[in-house]
Amino acid sequence: MKEPLTPSKLALISMIFGLLLVSALLAGCTQSTTNTPVSTAATTAPVTEVPTPVVTATTAVPTTVMPTATPAPTYTATEGNLVAYTAASLSGASTSIGPSFTMAYPNHKVIFNLDGTQALKTQVENGAYADVFISASNSYTNTLKSEGYFDNTTVKTLTTNYIIVILPASNTANIKSLADLAKPGVKIAMEAATVPAGTATMAVLNNSANSTYGQAWKNSVISNVVTYETSEPAVATKVSLGEVDAGFVYQSTATAAAKGTYQSITIPKKDNYLQTYTIGILRQSTNKAIAADFEQFMLSSAGQQILTQYGFTAP
Amino acid sequence: MTPKRFRPKNYRRTLTYLAAGILIAAVTLYLALPILALIIRMSPDMFFDTLHNPEVISALWLSLFTTVISLAVVILVGTPFAYYHSRYSYPGKVIVDTLIDLPLVLPPAVAGVALLVLYGRVGLLGRYFNMLGISLAFTTLAVIMAQIFVASPFYLRQAKSLFEQLDPAYEQTARTLGASSLRTMTLVTLPMTAGGLVSGAVMTFGRALGEFGATIMFAGNLPGVTQTMPLAVYVGMESNVTVGLTISILLVIISFTIMIAVRLIQMREENRA
Repeated sequence: MKEPLTPSKLALISMIFGLLLVSALLAGCTQSTTNTPVSTAATTAPVTEVPTPVVTATTAVPTTVMPTATPAPTYTATEGNLVAYTAASLSGASTSIGPSFTMAYPNHKVIFNLDGTQALKTQVENGAYADVFISASNSYTNTLKSEGYFDNTTVKTLTTNYIIVILPASNTANIKSLADLAKPGVKIAMEAATVPAGTATMAVLNNSANSTYGQAWKNSVISNVVTYETSEPAVATKVSLGEVDAGFVYQSTATAAAKGTYQSITIPKKDNYLQTYTIGILRQSTNKAIAADFEQFMLSSAGQQILTQYGFTAP
Repeated sequence: MTPKRFRPKNYRRTLTYLAAGILIAAVTLYLALPILALIIRMSPDMFFDTLHNPEVISALWLSLFTTVISLAVVILVGTPFAYYHSRYSYPGKVIVDTLIDLPLVLPPAVAGVALLVLYGRVGLLGRYFNMLGISLAFTTLAVIMAQIFVASPFYLRQAKSLFEQLDPAYEQTARTLGASSLRTMTLVTLPMTAGGLVSGAVMTFGRALGEFGATIMFAGNLPGVTQTMPLAVYVGMESNVTVGLTISILLVIISFTIMIAVRLIQMREENRA
């Protein structure tokens, strides 16, 4: 440490520094010129097939043998982990879907990444790997389709969901109707406008104001909002903890919750907003066959039954 | 500057310099490149345009307002606390010492959940506040409470060790010369520790400004009320990326200013010593 900084030392260090900095800057520049998501998605799709998990390498052996024996591809013998980016409102259902899928397709396993659809979309747009994308919003699905992330022919409607108001079991604010949500001092949690459930809730507020309650009601309800959560289950949590008096969530959340967790107020169908969930396979997927199996399973009666059980409305 | 010295007299030594140079460069770049990328991604025009965005402005003011209050509370309560804590021994002092350090290793999200189940409306203490008509969770006060909880250790630790290191002989001299204990504090103790205290305070400010996990859990996310800059970055990245990037760059600028301030204070202290 006490050694004096000789010019030779300085020259060496500065040379390395300069070189690395220049290369870094160059890398930065070239990257910024090609940062259109469409092109990167298109170009990375074939490239990412190289670092495929070892799973496909091992399964490659049986599949190359199999065609000679049986021309029809059966996937029961293959093994694979599927990454499914899944809207957070499916958190409850996912605990049933995972085991049931493995039961129906032995050796297949699905790993869920559950978050608000808007967060999942941002992750995919920034290069996250996923095989299947389950979106709680048609408009985000369409954005991802137009940006070239989806294998567009595989995108199908999965299920639907209505908005409902949930109250803590104790209902200390004594809320009996939608009109009561506008009472001063009521604390309401809803989703941020970027979260699909937040968009749906806004639509519900607008519809209800126009049909029955009026603009003043809507403004009071909005001024009672104490937090805009970043996912639908986060709103449910704040209600179940009793920290807010009411929350706007999906019907599925209220149905799937244990008895006595919430009280709920339904919103008439005419004012409600039918949220459409879609399922689709991403272009970058290296497990397309298993992904197709999973999609088929979700759309089959077995998959739909689970969703109905968790309070979703069949499309 | 003699050219002789440039000739590798010792092959091994050159290798050592080379290795050291590469290591230093690698570490520096690893830390600096992400920040550089953030700045490259935004054109200055876009940055200054987005600065006028009401979301950005409200997050900036809310962050500055809450952080300044948090810092004031930490200094006003923390300084006398650290002083007495370092000067007296009392039963359970070790426990208090550990508790001071706890928020440094505790995940902020856990801190937020803990604050919520204590001060929340149905929480351990919160239910009594609620009876009095006081609500804490999901208010600007909750933001400040979360910041104080998470960021205070930086100041407390610094103040504690400064007071421990200060030779009590100075204070005793002042007292024997007839100065009151308050006068001794303001004229002897504080001036002698000022540099260190300020750098501790600056670190606390920086940590409070960056608070995210505890805030979103305990204070929620309401623009203008509890949506501080880090929360606005999170929400911005999911909707309007420009807003997310702009606030990120603002935070980088503030962080750099903080680090430079600390460095300057430390340099001045070293010169004085």
